[in-house]
Amino acid sequence: MRYPAFALAEHLDHGLGDPRDPGRAASFARCVELDSREEFPAEICAELDRLGLPRWYVPTEYGGELRSYEELLHAVRILARRDLTVAIGHGKTYLGAVSAWVGATPEQARRVGAEVLAGSVISLALTEREHGSDLLAGEVSAVPAGDGYRVDGEKWLINNASRGDLVCVLARTEPAGGTRGFSLLLVDKRRLAPGTFRCLPKERTHGVRGADISGIAFTGAEVPAEALLGPAGAGPEIVLKSVQLTRTMCAAMSLGLADQALRLVLDFATAHRLYDRPLVDLPHANRTLTEAYVDLLIGEATSVLTARGIHATPDELSVTSAIAKYLVPTMMDRAIPRLGQVLGARALLTEDHADGLFQKIERDHRIVGIFDGNTLVNLNTLVNQFPGLVRGYRRGVADPGLTDTVDLARPLPDFDRSRLALLSRTGCSVVQQFPVAAAELLDLVEAGVAPPALAVQVETLADLIDGLHERMAAYRPSPRQVPAEAFALAGQYALAFAAAGCLHLWLRNRHRLAGGATGPLWADARWLRACLHRLIGQLRPAGVAGSAPDDDGEDYDRLLPDLRAQHREGRLFSLLPSRLAEAGTPPPDPPSETAGQPDEQPSRTAGAVTQPSEVVR
Amino acid sequence: MSVDTASVPGQVADAGAEPDLETYLGNPHDPANPVSFPAVLAADERGELLAEGERALDGYGLNAEFVPRALGGRFDRADRLAQVLRAVFRRDTTLGVGYGVTTFIAATPVWTDGTAQQRRWMADLLLRHGKASAGYNELAHGTDFSRAELRARPAGDHYRVTGRKEMVGNLARADAVTLFARTDDRPGSRSHSHLLLDMAALPAEHRRHLRRYRTAGVRGVLLGGLEFTDCPVPSDAVVGEPGGAMETVLRAFQVTRGVLPGMAVGIVDTQLRTVLRFALDRRLYGLPVAELPHARTTLVDGFLDLLIGDCLATVVARALHLLPDQTSVYSAAVKYLVPKLLQEAAHRLSVVLGARSYLRDGPYGIFQKNLRDLLAATLTHASAAVCQATIIPQLPRLAQQGWRSSPPPPPALFRLGDPLPPLDFGALGLSARGVDSLTATLRGYLAEPGAQPAVARLCGLFTAELDRLAEACAELPPRDRTVIAGRRSFDLTDRYATVLAAAACLGVWRHQRDDPFLGDVPWLAAALSRLAGRLGLHPGTAPDGLERHLYTELLARHRDNRGFDLVNRRLAG
Amino acid sequence: MSGTIQDTSVDAIRSWLAGRIAFYLQRSVEEIDHDLPLVEIGLDSVYAMTLSGDVEERYDIEVEPTMAWDHPTVNALAGYLHGVLGSRG
Ligand SMILES: Cc1cc2nc3c(=O)[nH]c(=O)nc-3n(C[C@H](O)[C@H](O)[C@H](O)COP(=O)(O)OP(=O)(O)OC[C@H]3O[C@@H](n4cnc5c(N)ncnc54)[C@H](O)[C@@H]3O)c2cc1C
Ligand SMILES: Cc1cc2nc3c(=O)[nH]c(=O)nc-3n(C[C@H](O)[C@H](O)[C@H](O)COP(=O)(O)OP(=O)(O)OC[C@H]3O[C@@H](n4cnc5c(N)ncnc54)[C@H](O)[C@@H]3O)c2cc1C
Repeated sequence: MRYPAFALAEHLDHGLGDPRDPGRAASFARCVELDSREEFPAEICAELDRLGLPRWYVPTEYGGELRSYEELLHAVRILARRDLTVAIGHGKTYLGAVSAWVGATPEQARRVGAEVLAGSVISLALTEREHGSDLLAGEVSAVPAGDGYRVDGEKWLINNASRGDLVCVLARTEPAGGTRGFSLLLVDKRRLAPGTFRCLPKERTHGVRGADISGIAFTGAEVPAEALLGPAGAGPEIVLKSVQLTRTMCAAMSLGLADQALRLVLDFATAHRLYDRPLVDLPHANRTLTEAYVDLLIGEATSVLTARGIHATPDELSVTSAIAKYLVPTMMDRAIPRLGQVLGARALLTEDHADGLFQKIERDHRIVGIFDGNTLVNLNTLVNQFPGLVRGYRRGVADPGLTDTVDLARPLPDFDRSRLALLSRTGCSVVQQFPVAAAELLDLVEAGVAPPALAVQVETLADLIDGLHERMAAYRPSPRQVPAEAFALAGQYALAFAAAGCLHLWLRNRHRLAGGATGPLWADARWLRACLHRLIGQLRPAGVAGSAPDDDGEDYDRLLPDLRAQHREGRLFSLLPSRLAEAGTPPPDPPSETAGQPDEQPSRTAGAVTQPSEVVR
Repeated sequence: MSVDTASVPGQVADAGAEPDLETYLGNPHDPANPVSFPAVLAADERGELLAEGERALDGYGLNAEFVPRALGGRFDRADRLAQVLRAVFRRDTTLGVGYGVTTFIAATPVWTDGTAQQRRWMADLLLRHGKASAGYNELAHGTDFSRAELRARPAGDHYRVTGRKEMVGNLARADAVTLFARTDDRPGSRSHSHLLLDMAALPAEHRRHLRRYRTAGVRGVLLGGLEFTDCPVPSDAVVGEPGGAMETVLRAFQVTRGVLPGMAVGIVDTQLRTVLRFALDRRLYGLPVAELPHARTTLVDGFLDLLIGDCLATVVARALHLLPDQTSVYSAAVKYLVPKLLQEAAHRLSVVLGARSYLRDGPYGIFQKNLRDLLAATLTHASAAVCQATIIPQLPRLAQQGWRSSPPPPPALFRLGDPLPPLDFGALGLSARGVDSLTATLRGYLAEPGAQPAVARLCGLFTAELDRLAEACAELPPRDRTVIAGRRSFDLTDRYATVLAAAACLGVWRHQRDDPFLGDVPWLAAALSRLAGRLGLHPGTAPDGLERHLYTELLARHRDNRGFDLVNRRLAG
Repeated sequence: MSGTIQDTSVDAIRSWLAGRIAFYLQRSVEEIDHDLPLVEIGLDSVYAMTLSGDVEERYDIEVEPTMAWDHPTVNALAGYLHGVLGSRG
């Protein structure tokens, strides 16, 4: 029983080695040290180049090996688990290049692909000092000049703006601006005339202190016509479609960071004694741990469904990517400090306890909710789609791709960029098919296959989700003056998605996964019960909150053995079987069956590597 | 009074008049001010306590705030102490903790249980701007004090001390250390004593300073460690009865835990001001961010959280004087709930500040520092779990009687301007014995003939909640009343603390009739609704214009540069 | 319970105390060693204070919350309480 979508992640993790071994370039100790010196993790990024990671930033049709976003999701997760600075310092190139995958001509995209495979660093420059979320307010301009464009103005707060070889710039190409007034230019810094651009100093940040968060100022920088990605005026549209891909990957960062936070706290809670017993035996402390575990499982389910949806239901990605980018970072923004409460004073130490890693994770994680579309931008995206979501729910619309999305054993179709849309015409099938899944579950309960407690949960959820849609239907859209209550509804919708997603996942995969290393989680649906318990608690409207007197949360306690086993065995905290570098032995099945082994010389160009398909066997 | 003000040019405290700390700290945005935010941030980056800040606090004579009036200091009101320190926290939590709180924690056991001579000695030391350290923590045992290992063995006319203390503030530069030491090998709660160490008199060869502990928050606080090997300490160093330290701690920490949250209100006061500044300056979609409904709501909610937090903090601080037999519960509740409310508010504010909440430079750089510092202040001196665990064993008794039939508190509890009797440390009860006068305020209001219907309706939500709590607490299974209590008990303390906060807000409102803002209904209705929402109760829809009313007040205070707390006073700058 | 007349013999107090302690620790009464310090049985300092509340309720008297600190075993406590109750008359 394997989960092949972990193959790349395991390849990278084992390639970088046990992070607890201070002798490793990519050890926790070293990462914390680099952070405190505010130094870019260049050596670790070079190692990732050697491990071939850039190949997975480039879709196969443009010469790379990116065929599964589910696989990329877990790769980002595993890197963030080790060090977010590395994950964004290296992964930024994917963000810089993605506009080409989404909007460029095939020939252009192949050129960009070649750059990435050659190890070039590409960054993405949308933000300016005075303008963030409002893309259409940008002032950096590109006016036609000669055969190309002349670029003026300043992009600021840009990851890798200084280190990057190329910068993908959103520039105003019509003085009047507007939705067709901006274009994307892939500016090759190496070919700009000296004196026409200047990199701005690195900003000192709260977390990811080693990252190159800087900016670039252009003064009459001339770029050739071929720098234009996609048609002129298509900038905002390409950006809004690209972020649907990248926002999904942001959720993976949260998963990785929270995973390591939980790991650290479990280490401590197992070793530390209080009142004559291990801290982990104090029920209040271990409940905090199992709650964080459940949050991770919910976050994983949400992210995996969204990533699979990139292939199977890309038309709905405007909804699902906003959900993933909002929900997972927000959940972990809460879970990580709560874990810190268990660590107590040690949560603050920068040198003394477990390499001082926890405080770094806590600082690093805060960026995930801010960049690449902040919390409110994502919620606003959902609010804007309320009418379509309500319609889809009432009609029970199901995109045919839903089956592929939720069944982890089914091969995924290749990603088709032409199916990305700024608004989802089919709403959100995962939520819309909740009633169908609920009915199936009730049958299973009836048949004695699923525990009766689940029936109660699913019926409760059905009421909550119905009620939620009624409130969404009652909302009168107002384009900018969106009231706080509408944001709250959008947040609830994200929770409903997670709940529905968990149910679909369990129904479609319980047979196959009940036999594997995470089998106990699946066999009696214990993970599902705990996840639904937690989501119901957060979905309940005011008035019925607070646990029922006879509810002691046994759903969480039942997960403690699974949590502790995954911790002990060096696995990700996950519904799916994995092996971290800590587990020692190399992954059973490296992703490159035909090309370079992990420690061989890297092939800098596209290897003809075929990925094992993402089928759960 | 031996307060030395000469070192601050141009700032000499009027003889007789209370010196004003704000003027010592100066305008936080004036780059020429040595205690400005930029200077504070620079010191934080260096991991240092801002030297000019310490000088300003010396000049003001901050230590005198910790010394009881009877001993020549200015400590006569716990609520005032919190307010004075709040000004420091508003500027720099690191100074607040590293200059202020640490010393206060060290001195309190001496006021509680020390001999006249020991009290005099500590008072003189503090009034000379001396530093005292509170030597409790051993990393292996943390808050589980009864298992602390550092050992003091009697040997003739002195003790021999062996063992170590870790992560203790100012240890390396302390003139005095209040040391929590095991004086009996037997397990239990009569085996520890406080020793008051005069560091200058201790033989150097018997003690060794450990490396400094570096932290991500309050980075400038000097957290050190000390290892003693067979170090002689005179017998008269014992504070109180030998074996009595656990009991002293349970009294003294009611005071320190009771006032710390009121200080921490200052951190989020600055956070709110910083984000309000941003929201007024930053434009998005053609409007200032403050005009976006979500941002507006977040700002107003932050304001309410400060008022709520200050109500509970102030009332509990006053209870230390007026209801000392009940504060074993209240001080734990306030140390649990207020930092939590503040932390949640700060998180929501960070979402509005967006990318600026992640930058260490620029006009909003103080925000990220305060985020880190708030976390540290929350974990300092009893974590949430420890405070909740203090309340849990008392719940069943409160449920049996206290929540139904406790005597109402004296009105002075809520009359913020009223003088208070001196704080009698010895009168602080180790258990409230099931009495809870603060929540009796809620029932009292309902019974009043002239009660305002809108307020009464909200109060009714909380009395009903108390009834439910009483039922749940009375039924707590045995293990849920002990150290291995499950989540259920911890949740009950959260709900109970929320009801206490509601009672504090109600009381403050009722007794500030002359205050045009605090005496008026809207803020109270909003605060009670917010607390009810926290409990998952239906507060009903807010009346039209309520948010605007509160936002107008918030903005007015901002324009006049006044604080967002109950005190509502002018700030420097 | 409070107010009703309780048997105040050492034996009665002892077995009532052992019952309370067994209740908190969720053990059987037989497992409670009457001569072992309460901390070692598992009743930590703050929680030992709970016993004083129980005593006040049952016997309608006021005792120090730290009573169990100074009389840290079942036997010691029973002896102490017997003395207090006896002197009350
Ligand atoms: C900035 C700063 C300054 C400090 N200054 C001083 C100082 O001047 N002097 C000094 O002596 N110490 C000082 N300390 C140390 C501080 O007092 C310790 O943090 C405190 O003793 C708690 O210890 P701990 O965090 O190591 O956790 P422990 O007490 O060991 O607890 C570990 C964890 O168990 C949890 N826990 C406790 N009880 C329960 C329960 N019943 N159920 C479930 N979980 C529970 C706690 O919340 C905590 O998360 C300072 C700390 C900081 C951060
Ligand atoms: C470490 C770091 C790395 C970054 N890397 C990059 C990069 O590589 N490339 C790049 O282009 N940018 C990058 N950014 C910039 C970042 O993406 C933007 O700053 C962010 O997306 C939003 O902008 P803002 O926070 O400046 O806020 P603004 O957009 O100015 O918004 C201000 C506030 O208004 C509120 N708001 C926003 N939209 C709404 C709404 N619809 N409804 C209600 N309220 C709203 C929010 O509270 C927000 O915080 C980076 C930032 C950081 C800190």
